[in-house]
Amino acid sequence: MSWKKDEDSDELGALLNLDHSAVLQEARIFNQTPIRPRQSRLLLAKIVFLLYRGDSIPTIDATNLFFSITKLFQCKDMSLRQMVYLTIKELSTVSEDVIMVTSSLMKDMQPKSEITYRANAIRALCKIVDPSMLPGIERLLKAAIVEKLPSIASAALVSSIHLFTDAKDVVRRWGNEASEALNGKALSMGPSFFSGSANQNQVVSTSNIVQYHAIGLLYAIRQHDRMAVLKLVQTFSGQNKSGGWMSGPSPTLRSNMAHVMLIRYAVRVMENDPSLLPQLCTLLQEWMSHSSDMVSLEAARAVCQLKDVDSRPLTQAVGVLQMFLGSPRATARFAAIRTLNTLARTHPEAVQPCNVDMENLITDKNRSVATFAITTLLKTGNEASVDRLMKQMQGFMAEISDEFKIIVAEAVRSLCRKFPGKHSLFLSFLSGVLRDEGGYEFKRSAIEAIIDLAKNVPECKETALAHLCEFIEDCEFTKLSVRVLYFLGEEGPLTAKPTIYIRHIYNRVVLENAVVRAAAVNALAKFGASSAADPSLQRSVRVLLKRCLDDRDDEVRDRSAWALRMMDNEKTKDKYVRDDSTFALAVLERKLVEYCADPAASLKGKFSFESVPRISRAQEEESRNQARLENMDAVLTGTTISAPSSTRPIGAGISEAIETPGTPMSPGVSGSGFMDEFEQQARYASQLNAIPEIAAFGDQPLVSSRKPVDLTEAETEYVVRCIKHVYDGHIVFQFDVTNTIPEQVLEQIEVAMEPEEDIDGVLEPVVVVPIPELKCNQPGTAYVAFARADTETFPSVSFACTLKFIVKECDPATGEPEEGDDGFEDEYSLEATDLGAGDFMQSTYIPDSHSLWEVLGQDAEAIETFALANFDGIEECITKVNDLLGMSPLDGALKPKSKAAHQAVFTGKWMGRVKTVARTRMTYQKGAGVTMELAVRSEDQGVSELMVAAIA
Amino acid sequence: MASIFKAILDWLLSLFWKEEMELTLVGLQNSGKTTLVNVIASGQFTEDMIPTVGFNMRKVTKGNVTMKLWDIGGQPRFRSMWERYCRGVNAIVFVIDAADHAKLDQARAELWSLLEKPQLANIPVLVLGNKNDLEEALTVDQLIEAMNLHAITSREVACYSISAKNQVNIDVTLKWLIKHSSSSSSSALVS
Repeated sequence: MSWKKDEDSDELGALLNLDHSAVLQEARIFNQTPIRPRQSRLLLAKIVFLLYRGDSIPTIDATNLFFSITKLFQCKDMSLRQMVYLTIKELSTVSEDVIMVTSSLMKDMQPKSEITYRANAIRALCKIVDPSMLPGIERLLKAAIVEKLPSIASAALVSSIHLFTDAKDVVRRWGNEASEALNGKALSMGPSFFSGSANQNQVVSTSNIVQYHAIGLLYAIRQHDRMAVLKLVQTFSGQNKSGGWMSGPSPTLRSNMAHVMLIRYAVRVMENDPSLLPQLCTLLQEWMSHSSDMVSLEAARAVCQLKDVDSRPLTQAVGVLQMFLGSPRATARFAAIRTLNTLARTHPEAVQPCNVDMENLITDKNRSVATFAITTLLKTGNEASVDRLMKQMQGFMAEISDEFKIIVAEAVRSLCRKFPGKHSLFLSFLSGVLRDEGGYEFKRSAIEAIIDLAKNVPECKETALAHLCEFIEDCEFTKLSVRVLYFLGEEGPLTAKPTIYIRHIYNRVVLENAVVRAAAVNALAKFGASSAADPSLQRSVRVLLKRCLDDRDDEVRDRSAWALRMMDNEKTKDKYVRDDSTFALAVLERKLVEYCADPAASLKGKFSFESVPRISRAQEEESRNQARLENMDAVLTGTTISAPSSTRPIGAGISEAIETPGTPMSPGVSGSGFMDEFEQQARYASQLNAIPEIAAFGDQPLVSSRKPVDLTEAETEYVVRCIKHVYDGHIVFQFDVTNTIPEQVLEQIEVAMEPEEDIDGVLEPVVVVPIPELKCNQPGTAYVAFARADTETFPSVSFACTLKFIVKECDPATGEPEEGDDGFEDEYSLEATDLGAGDFMQSTYIPDSHSLWEVLGQDAEAIETFALANFDGIEECITKVNDLLGMSPLDGALKPKSKAAHQAVFTGKWMGRVKTVARTRMTYQKGAGVTMELAVRSEDQGVSELMVAAIA
Repeated sequence: MASIFKAILDWLLSLFWKEEMELTLVGLQNSGKTTLVNVIASGQFTEDMIPTVGFNMRKVTKGNVTMKLWDIGGQPRFRSMWERYCRGVNAIVFVIDAADHAKLDQARAELWSLLEKPQLANIPVLVLGNKNDLEEALTVDQLIEAMNLHAITSREVACYSISAKNQVNIDVTLKWLIKHSSSSSSSALVS
């Protein structure tokens, strides 16, 4: 007996420092005759262990190993065979020629084979099969899906879901089998069933996992067919009791996890088609009283996440969640409180009824639950309860993880906005947590919260700055020090006693690393250049900066030298320090990366800042906030939190992952923010440069339309959008075309443009770039380019557009045109495209437009008054004017405060070069419409006149 | 009476001289490898078979010999893998569709390239011209000529004309195979 013990301990030791070359050596035992099942099994376990540990085996070795393993198919030992299946699955991605075992696996999944073999063989087979082999095993898989034994049916269903990504058209044919598996019990419940199968019926009823997997597959197959998904949801709604198209009793979902998935699908249907909302909402309400926690939680969560939800279902959902707050199970409490927390962000008043229950949860022994409870309360609570909550929160900050600390910091930040009166309380809390241990992300959110507070609540600015100063005295994160120093530089000079901050900043110069020192020098420079600085202060700053000239670091020395120079000159001060615009940072970054990546770029010349659009600081701030909120949403919806979550059943990600590649790309639709707009334009530019004829017109278009214009009605056969690009000597019309008919493939698609006025001598058509082929829902782009014969004239023309193409019938499943179909030519008329003055104007922010206006003076002005009777309101009118001018509206230009009168300022650059400012004043009287005065001043008088003419 | 006696004797012999052997069946697709395995194993002929994707493994006991039959798919994508399964076996069985004249050249090329592999040196080869129930099937002599079997000198080669469908010459084939089970007895080229 003793030898056996030795061997065991040997194995344990061997597992820990296993080396794959040794294992591969040992693999020779697979080739021995007779097979030794036990040894082989142990060796297979070692191989699997290696693969799981992440060791990579070279392809040649893996292939050799794989072929040795195939020899083990001669042995009938069951546990060895199972291990073989497992290893084959793991090797399937590493080894070559894995299809070699197809036949053997097919034999094992035959009905007459062992049950254990069958399910395992199915799973292994789907890993090794390539889509071209699929038709060969289709029959077997279909039979396995409707198999009564749950292990086999779910093996087949799960495998089908995996196969679906690669072989959509084949798997799509298995819909009937999947729905049979889904309704399995309803079928076998028929009274005419013979007694022999009674035994197996019991097996079916004890495990409902098949339904869960079946509903997943069914959804994967039908996800793009909204009606089919709706039907799927309705099948299990219990609403069609009256018979209808299904005979017999309506089927029920026995699997709770399947039910949860069904709820999610229902929500997706609603998102796509809001008109179904009332109908499905009633369903969700019914499901909220389901006997399973999982289902009712999911239903309640679904209601809470709906965008436009009535108060009645919402109250019911909150009621359900409130019940779960008292659940003895931590997971249920967590799920409920997390949903309420998310809801509180949008509907704090709806969550208020739960306040009492949530206060009890603050002392919950599960810290995650407690954190959510407290942050929810902070959102729903009133000013009076804030003090108490903050105190309680301080109590357990030390006990929770960084992720939750960030949530708390964010909650406090939004609270600051809500109750500015409590600023001292928040500040002391935040500075308190800053002193504690914590990671970078958490410290950053606390710092941002303080900065936010300082910006928005003027009374507490000085205290906040003092806290920040204290923080950088002992800060381990360089990035945060830099952030704080920057902020001190911005705000410090405007305070009553700037000297305090200067001392703190200079301390950094003495004590910190080069990066922080450089930031500190910049901050000092801002103090020196500030208009509020008195001469003695300027003198002191100068002294400090001079000392920095002896710094060890190049960058620090350069910056201080620059700062000293800059302070001597009023003009440069204005240009660099008191500038209220900044580069669009995302674009700047991308352009710099491109510049550095292109080896020839430095030969062409230095980096051109002209090509980077400028935006105002307010816009920059706004986009930062937006990004932060989105980030926070991601945290709160649970993508990064690793806390226990009962509402996410295993495999829930599968269908979501499958769904994403199917969504058609929609250019320009998501371009809500100005950042997206810039990114979009950069994308256009690279698309245009990919076409040699167009690339010859210039590096990139001077002006590109801000938004694509729809040339078709929504929901038509073909969707066409137009984007205009203006070059020095050319104009390019870009047409994004989408074919929405699955039965058709279009070929040789081009857009014919007929000018409605005479354009001879002004525009000459030069290039037409057609789309070679267009399948359903795969957008393509066609171009039409004109040369501007006379670069001094800026024509205003309208073009009648027609889409011309060859239609071929195709199989909707594969998208391949039928053979021998030559197709026929067809046309589709589009709406007209206009070319106007606004298309030559680049929408860009110009800093300090007011002084520019004065500098340009009356000479460069064109002014006109319009009576616009057909507008019914200022807002409608300003939107139209904005569209026509194609310029960048300044803050508040598009949001009139009053209904009777409004003023707006726009800036832009004509052809990307000539600075232009437009001012408009408008008044509205009911009955008379809008009266508008438009004044444009530009560096080129002609441009001003053209712009004014654009409105007429 | 004699047959009963012989069966008992066989059984007794199998107790004492139980032998194992490994065989690999290769050949172009649709030459009848899987069918032949089925006939040897169960004596049943099935008309329509699906192409073998990869390999099939069967164990058959005849008398006191247990044969492990590796039946490898004949489609082009699997031919590169024939060699792996031929290493170290007692005999290689190369099956040819004797009635498919168009593929004979291809079959010869595949057979010769397989036999050139150094790893497979000295392993006896049995060439079977299957489907001799069909009228256009080649005779043994024609097959030997077509495969150029006379040129093989370094190893033992045999060639039979068989029919898996009508079970013609299956017994001869088995006899030859069993003879090569472990200690290959002396056997000359069968012509």
